[in-house]
Amino acid sequence: MGILENLYKMTAIQDFINNPGYLLMLAIGSFLLYLGIRKQYEPLLLVPIAFGVILANLPGGGMGVVSADLINLEGGHTKNLLEIAQDHGIMNFLYYSLIKTGFLPPIIFMGIGALTDFGPMLRNLRLAFFGAAAQLGIFIVLIAAIALGFTAKEAASLGIIGGADGPTAIYTTIKLAPHLLGPIAIAAYSYMALVPVIIPLVVRLTCSKKELLIHMKDMDKQYPSKLKIKNLRAVKIAFPIVLGIIISIFVPSAVPLLGMLLFGNLIKEIGVNVARLSEAATGSILNTATIFLGLSVGATMTAEVFLDFKTIMIVVGGFLAFAVSIFGGIMGVKVTNLFTKKKINPLCGATGLSAVPMASRVANDIALKYDSSNHILQYCMSSNISGVIGSAVAAGVLISFLQ
Amino acid sequence: MNEMGIALELLGVGMVTVFIILALVVILGDLIIRFVNKFMPEPEKVSAAKSTVSVPEINSKKIAAIVSAVSKVTNGGGRVVNIEKL
Repeated sequence: MGILENLYKMTAIQDFINNPGYLLMLAIGSFLLYLGIRKQYEPLLLVPIAFGVILANLPGGGMGVVSADLINLEGGHTKNLLEIAQDHGIMNFLYYSLIKTGFLPPIIFMGIGALTDFGPMLRNLRLAFFGAAAQLGIFIVLIAAIALGFTAKEAASLGIIGGADGPTAIYTTIKLAPHLLGPIAIAAYSYMALVPVIIPLVVRLTCSKKELLIHMKDMDKQYPSKLKIKNLRAVKIAFPIVLGIIISIFVPSAVPLLGMLLFGNLIKEIGVNVARLSEAATGSILNTATIFLGLSVGATMTAEVFLDFKTIMIVVGGFLAFAVSIFGGIMGVKVTNLFTKKKINPLCGATGLSAVPMASRVANDIALKYDSSNHILQYCMSSNISGVIGSAVAAGVLISFLQ
Repeated sequence: MNEMGIALELLGVGMVTVFIILALVVILGDLIIRFVNKFMPEPEKVSAAKSTVSVPEINSKKIAAIVSAVSKVTNGGGRVVNIEKL
């Protein structure tokens, strides 16, 4: 009988009975895995995040990320990494060394930069403005969240979901409201996966058929650009260097993200001479960073932290931030069209939020539904790429104001 | 109420900053293109069609593929001046 009792104590059955929240979290983790595997919603990140949720909610496993209160010591000191690993396990070691320090999001941005082609934006520079208009959702939801009782830092972390950029959302939340990291990361990546649903919804509510029929290539023929690029490679190499320096002067707090994005892009554009670097940035480094980021972020979602009313608010607020950002981009185009002869298809504004290149592909599909010859992918990519810069700048503003 | 004041301030400052930075992106991009066009224009590429004249025995699609591959590997820096069958 004693043996059976010891065996029972060894298992986690009593923990599940004492705290059914664990079971609920395992169900949530499994549902997220279903979305990632079966529905293919951002599987590269959702699968590690979902499995991190499951690992964190296996009682006795010691894989859940613990509150910073347990890491902080008296006198403003914190435990060192060895102590964290010994006291709280390897997941906390990963979280406090790679995530809490803000290390991984810029590393991921470097990989994104090495995968990004600024060519479409440089060919259609005026469309880059709509990457600014589409940041509206960040600030509108920030105001709404404060009205609903969030602190300014929490509200900013919630609003940044509207930038539609996972690493930016995670980086901002780490800096401002790390206790909300799990739900905000989940909301950000879930809505990014739902871009094919959200963009058509907002477009249907705000755009007329006439506007969606605006043929971008015909407009280019009618009003051709005066500036042709005579050496695209040289422009692409100079662009990240000059832009990086200028942005660092105006918004220094955006440099960790944008600086790494532009560095990644530079090594891509230099080409064969540094091909090994760009291969590393887009391959092994990006993949490793993605695994550790996903698992660690998922592990922050323990039952005690996640099963909270604020999580529901974050899910709703994140959707609103996304929708308002798309609306902002569309309105930016509509206002511009009032004053210019060369009309722009409002779908080029809807892609002003990040979510590259999915937002552009979705917008292109919508345009093709109305006119099978209206290929607008390259135009949408312009505002889409500028949206990455815009959301990182918005994050920089939030961090420098609130941190 | 104080936090709401901060939020409204952030709305103004944030949107203005994002617009300024993206305006800078547009202006800088424009300036870089003008500078490069003036001082570093790319030499005209040898077109596949032109090369076909000198090596008529090679299929034009193959020439286009070779020109494209050289351009890709050299990032636009290389030129195909002659193609010989070995």
